[in-house]
This record gives sequence, C-alpha cells and structure tokens, in this order.
Amino acid sequence: MTEVTIEAKQVTKTYGSGALAYQALRGVDFSASEGEFVMLNGPSGSGKTTLLSILGCVLSPTSGSVRIFDEELMGKKQSQLPHLRLAYIGFIFQGHNLLASLEARENVALPLRMRGWGTGEAMKEADRLLERVGLGDKLDRRPDELSGGQKQRVAIARALAGKPPIILADEPTASLDAETGLQVTELLKDLASTDRHTVVVVTHDNRIFHLGDRIVQIEDGHIVSSTPNPKSHAGEPS
Amino acid sequence: MSEHAKGRSAIKSRWGKNRLMARVGIKMMFHDRAKLVGTLLGVIFASVLVNQQLGVLMGLLNKNTMFVENAGADLWIVPPGMEALSGGTRMSMYTLNQARVVEGVAWAEPLAFGTASMSLPSGGSEAVTLVGTRLTHLGGGPWNMVAGDVESLEMPDTVVFEDSRRDELGGINLGSVRELGGHRVVAGGFTWGLLPFGPSYAFTEFDTARSILNVPSDQTTFVLVRVQPGADVIAVRDELRRRLPALQVVTRQDFAHATVMYLLKAQLGISFGTSTAFGVIVGFVIVALSMFSAVVDNIREFGTLKAMGASNFDLSKLLFVQSIAYALIGTTIGLFLVTRMAAGIRSANLVLVLPWWMFAGTFGFMIVLCLVASGLALIRVRNVEPGMVFR
Repeated sequence: MTEVTIEAKQVTKTYGSGALAYQALRGVDFSASEGEFVMLNGPSGSGKTTLLSILGCVLSPTSGSVRIFDEELMGKKQSQLPHLRLAYIGFIFQGHNLLASLEARENVALPLRMRGWGTGEAMKEADRLLERVGLGDKLDRRPDELSGGQKQRVAIARALAGKPPIILADEPTASLDAETGLQVTELLKDLASTDRHTVVVVTHDNRIFHLGDRIVQIEDGHIVSSTPNPKSHAGEPS
Repeated sequence: MSEHAKGRSAIKSRWGKNRLMARVGIKMMFHDRAKLVGTLLGVIFASVLVNQQLGVLMGLLNKNTMFVENAGADLWIVPPGMEALSGGTRMSMYTLNQARVVEGVAWAEPLAFGTASMSLPSGGSEAVTLVGTRLTHLGGGPWNMVAGDVESLEMPDTVVFEDSRRDELGGINLGSVRELGGHRVVAGGFTWGLLPFGPSYAFTEFDTARSILNVPSDQTTFVLVRVQPGADVIAVRDELRRRLPALQVVTRQDFAHATVMYLLKAQLGISFGTSTAFGVIVGFVIVALSMFSAVVDNIREFGTLKAMGASNFDLSKLLFVQSIAYALIGTTIGLFLVTRMAAGIRSANLVLVLPWWMFAGTFGFMIVLCLVASGLALIRVRNVEPGMVFR
C-alpha cells in the first residue's frame, strides 16, 4: 500500500481583503501518494499555481488543512516554512531559476549543502545526479553555457538532490520546444519513480499529459476532475 | 513514515550553511562584474578620499608641530595667552634663571622666534620664520640639513635657510649674502622640508635673531627646558608652574597638541572635515545603491534560494559576507592607491602622513560603512516572497 505524502482538505486562499478580496482557492481537496506523478492542469487564474505554492509551503492557506506526511502545515509560523521546504520539497521552476554564478554541479549541490551535507559529499552526489540526467560532461558549466533543455535537466537534478519526498514543478516545459519538453518530462518521471518521489506538475502542455499517473483539472479555485491515467502505474516503482 | 521524511534529520550543521551562504555570496558578487566594479569604486573612492584628506591634514599638522617635536626640549615655557607656536609675545629673560635652578632641569635655553623679511636682489622681499637658538645645546636648532653644517651658525650673522625656498629667497646658495630684517646675513646651510603654514623656517644664533627680530636683550620668545635623564617631567613642569605662575609651562606633547587643536579649530578642521565627510557620504551612497541594485538584478535568485529553504537570516549572512568582501577588497585597493599617491606628491611643501593606525581604522570604518550600506539591500531581500518564483 502506498502512503499519502501530501494532502490538502478544504483549502481556501484569499488574496487581499474587503472589496478587493480575491478568492483563488475555494475549498480544494487534493492528495498525492508516494511515487505518484500528478499533472495539475487548468486555465490561467484557475488557482493551480496558488495550490502549488501552498503545497510547497511557500504560501499559507487562508483556511483548511494541509498535511505533509503527519505534519500539519496550517498554523505554522512563516519562519518555520523554510525548514519545511528544505526538508520535504524539491522545486522545478518554469524558468529553471538556476543561480547564474554557480556551475551546474554547484547548483545541484546547493540544496544538499543547505540540508547540511559536507561539500565533498554534496559535490559527489551532484555529479552523480548530473550523470543521471545526461549532463556528466557539463558539470562545470554555468547556466549561460547551457541550452534551455540542459538547464531544465540541471533543475531536475537539483530538485532530486537529497531525495526530497515531494517534487513540485511549475510549467517545467514552458520555455522548451515540444520535443525537448517531452524528453525532460520523461526524464523527470523516470528519475522520480525510481526513488518514489511524489511529483506534482503544473502544466498547460497537453503533449505531456499522458505521462501523468493522474490528471487533476482545476478551474475557478475548484478541482473539477481527477482522472487516473489507465496507462500509468501509479504508486509502483518502475 | 517514509524514508524520505526521515531525511529531515539531515538538517544540521549551521556552520556548513554559513559557509555555503558565504560562498554563494562571493560567487554572486564576482559573477556580476559591472556591479562588482561599481561597488568597489564606491569603497575605493571613499577610502582614497578619506585617507588622502586625513593624510594631507596630518601632514600639514605635522609640519606645524615638527618644530616643537624636534626642538630637543621636554618642556616649553610659553608667554601667557599664546595658544599655538607663534612669535610676537615675549617674556623676561629672568624666566631663564628661574628655570635653571629647578631641580631636575638639565638645561634651559632661550629661543627667539618671529617673522623677518628678507630683501631680494630683484627687489621686493620674502618672509621667513626666524628661529634664534643658543649654540650651547642647539635647542630649537636646525635639523634635516641637506647642505652646509650646523656649526656654521657659530660664524657671525650666519643663517640656515630652507632648501626648497632657495628660488623664492632670491636664488641663494651657500655663502650668499642677503639682507634679513635690515641685517646682513650669510647663508651657511640648508634644511629640507621645514615648512609650516607660514613662512619657511630659517635658523640663526640667538643673539643674531634677537637683533634681527628687534627683541630687547632682556627678553625671549620661549624658554626651552630639557629635563635630566630619569627625572619626572611632570614633576619638573609642576615646579616650574609654581615658580612661574604668570607663564605657561607645557610639555612638548601638550604644546604640539595645543598647536594641532588651535589649527583644527581655526580652519583646518572644518575644511578637511567637510571634504572627508563628503568622501564618506559619496562612497556610502555608491556602495548602498550598487548593492541594492545587485539585489534587484538578482531578485529571482534570492527568491529561488528562499523557495529552496533559505531563511531571511541565511540571506542576511550572504549580504554580510558580500559587504565584508567589498570593504576589504575596495579598501586594500584604495589604500594602495593612496600610498602610491603619497609617494607621487611627496615634496617639501607637503608630505602625506599615513600612519598604520589610520589604515587599520579605514578597514574597520569601511566594513561598518559597507554593512550599513547593505541595509537597503537587506530590506529588499527580506521582502522577497519565495512565491515570486512561480510567477
């Protein structure tokens, strides 16, 4: 049996107050299990990025409950959230967001060093991860020396570093061409399933939907559908 | 609980995180060369201007206290009301006898001091600050001689002039005869660099000076006192004060200090203080704006670090290290430039005085300046929402 890694119940999020208040999430229920690869889809302004931010301990919900394993996030102080992110979450951003001044291996080693790994072991692990994403020959390249697809591969390696239980990806294929986008997502799925990461991908890119174990549709702050992909093997190691 | 969750225990080593933030901060700093140069220019500008101004100020003050420092006296008996080394006011030669009988005094000699006008062969005149010294101990006599000999003062009407003022004094050489204060004098030697704010120093025998300066035979400008080896200077000073209540009796250091304070209060303090403050303010603004601009340019990177789990405190450390690095690098370059500048402009008129403690103080001051200047950047970093990376 697979364990529920992350779970949101009746989550609401309201930005602003009074007449300017805007409700981005209106009682969302969402969960994802260990090893599951979930696609979160919806039109612009539907609340998917807000949900991703809440699941990623970046935003606090207005009401409801969010649990990562047995840890309730609701009511946590803002100062506690960085520790939770560091412990549980690996991020992949739309614009890769690599640190321009650091080499590829240093970017990947960064979350490991932040988790307390020694320099040597962090670099060794970074090299191993970059080998896994096919960049073993570009360890010492800086982001501006890499192509868009290569940068996103580095970002994937960085998100996987330290084996965080949850990986959240925000439009990871948005800045890539179709073929590279597909390759990058396949790589993410392959690597994530090996280590049983829970992956939530926010995307508009319907060309990669087939890679998801489940496709969750969100509209106007509500989850309107959650459809398992019969071709996938959710929760099972590949 | 998942194996993954147990990974939380790996959050450790605060020191390792500090080193990481330091490393990332330095890498970010050197990656953006334009900002690096801009910020360093601010520190360099401030450290050069501050040290150049203070070096000139100290050089000028030094030129006005060097006579007191080099006169060979431990104590100075000064006419009442005199705030700094100057001529004009006089005291009775009786003072000399009073001083000589005090226990602990090795010797006491009169010193004539005042401005005299030297007639030039081409017409016109040039002023000198004439010092008359008793040859017995040469208290207040010439030093830093570059031509001629101190013994030449034993010859009648002989004067030692300032080498760097030869042309202004009518192209004098050793043996040149000139008219000084209506008296015929002969150039017997030259000193180098003895230039106070006023006219350059010229040295002659006490009686010759008294004659040129029209000092009556029963008067002197100062009395110089040398204390016996091992004697307590303060005790001797206090005894002299007791015996000469109408006069000022000050130690060499106190007289030099009084001269410095007089000059600072007069004009120098405001003038140099203003330009030094200007350098500090401009440097501060450049550093603050450059660091703030660097943060704004890299705002997504700071957001990414926050999203990945870096706290505000972690990012404060990053900026802290950058500030220290900017201060150390910029100040080192700035002080190197000031040192080169000092060597380049060294002349008889001006010597930049750059003591080690001023350099050490500059490092400390620039570190504080950069830390304060980084406050603006820190405020911006603290306000960065980690959620911005999803937009």
